[in-house]
Amino acid sequence: MNITQSMIDALPVLLTGARITVLYAVGAMLLGLPLAFLVALGRSAPWPPVRWLLDLYVSFIRGTPLLVQIFVLYYGLPGLGVTLDPVTSGVAALSLNVAAYMSVTIRASLDAVGRGQREAARSLGLSSSQTMRFVVLPQALRIGLPSLMNSLIGLIKDTSLVSVITVTELLRSAQLVIARTFEPFGPYLAAALIYWLISSLLGLVQSRLERRLHRPGPA
Amino acid sequence: MRHQRTLMIAALALITSASAATLEKGVLKIGMEGTYPPFTYKDEQNQLVGFDVDIAKAVAAKLGLKTEFVLTEWSGILAGLQANKYDVIVNQVGVTAERQKSIAFSTPYAYSSAQIIVRKNDNAAYKTLASLKGKRVGVGLGSNYEKMLRDAGGINVVTYPGASEYLRDLAVGRLDAALNDRLMVGYFAKSQNLPVKGAGVIEDPQAIAIALKKTNTDLKAKIDRALLQLKADGTYAKISRKWFGQDVSKK
Repeated sequence: MNITQSMIDALPVLLTGARITVLYAVGAMLLGLPLAFLVALGRSAPWPPVRWLLDLYVSFIRGTPLLVQIFVLYYGLPGLGVTLDPVTSGVAALSLNVAAYMSVTIRASLDAVGRGQREAARSLGLSSSQTMRFVVLPQALRIGLPSLMNSLIGLIKDTSLVSVITVTELLRSAQLVIARTFEPFGPYLAAALIYWLISSLLGLVQSRLERRLHRPGPA
Repeated sequence: MRHQRTLMIAALALITSASAATLEKGVLKIGMEGTYPPFTYKDEQNQLVGFDVDIAKAVAAKLGLKTEFVLTEWSGILAGLQANKYDVIVNQVGVTAERQKSIAFSTPYAYSSAQIIVRKNDNAAYKTLASLKGKRVGVGLGSNYEKMLRDAGGINVVTYPGASEYLRDLAVGRLDAALNDRLMVGYFAKSQNLPVKGAGVIEDPQAIAIALKKTNTDLKAKIDRALLQLKADGTYAKISRKWFGQDVSKK
């Protein structure tokens, strides 16, 4: 069987898997971004225990492989009596992971907005929440956007790891086809192309957003 | 300490209530690989089929339960059972003394032996495990065949997530041999175009059974009864002949 033919044959199954992949990525993004923001703010909270806990969380996530984190949540937690289904544990692991990385970006972006900007805003009579919303955040977003989008594109690729916890996403779909045909090249290549396509679409969104944010005028 | 014990009891309660709830909801959750022809795999129409799939469906039908199949890699399949990801495993699980320490088995529904697999053009006569000494032999991670190879000693054991991976590696020459179920090899000889063939059979018939949690004694009794009924009413023989052309319920 030639490769093009085996790619085409695998396509219907792969597209079903790709839907799951996108579902996981979107779920993890929707949960991860707000969580990342909370963590970023919490890490400069005036309560030391909160800061220590969040520092520990970020350090743990950044210091352990995502694959291990997925295993801990899915196979480990039931040992403590907490049994999560594959969707919940997969999305949880991905969100917790991406949130830790994005929180670092968000914090750096917030810090990058000069102190003078805050002081000026306060002296103009803006409250601290107004300062955040109207002065600091819009500027921080512009600084942090490229690397936030990179995290999200990374997330699309990381979803392939949830194939180990009974989730038939894109990679696992390819493996299911290969188990029958023993023709690995076509299905794996087709899966790679689909990941590429999804990531490229996100990349397109990224450049659109960046152009928009750099347009002069009222935010 | 007291606190810990309360937590343990709460966890146990959760687990037992979960296993009891299964039957109430009327669904039997079945863990299997989905990448292990002819036992569990997806056909051209992307339907889950195979000998074990048919057995699982027949058992569930006898119990009046709907089926829900959970596909997972073999290497994580026993852990998934302990973690309540499904109620039973129907995936050519061999009954071994070691596994019986942590999981329960139904009455056996098949018997099979291990068989050495080699490339079609390989003329080396691997007849016994001893003849594999010093060779690179592929096998499923955490499978009973892995244990057989390791126990034999002196074999370079290479583990894989599933059969399709090591059979491919064997075909392209990254392995000297592989070890798997005799029934699978027989199926391959007929229906696959992978350039591999069966060599020596390890004559040590293994009981194959449905695996479930030790706490699930009620379900075990029901499954045992269902398997006996399937054998008595001829359903089992029909399934067995469909996949293997013979009755595999005997040693």
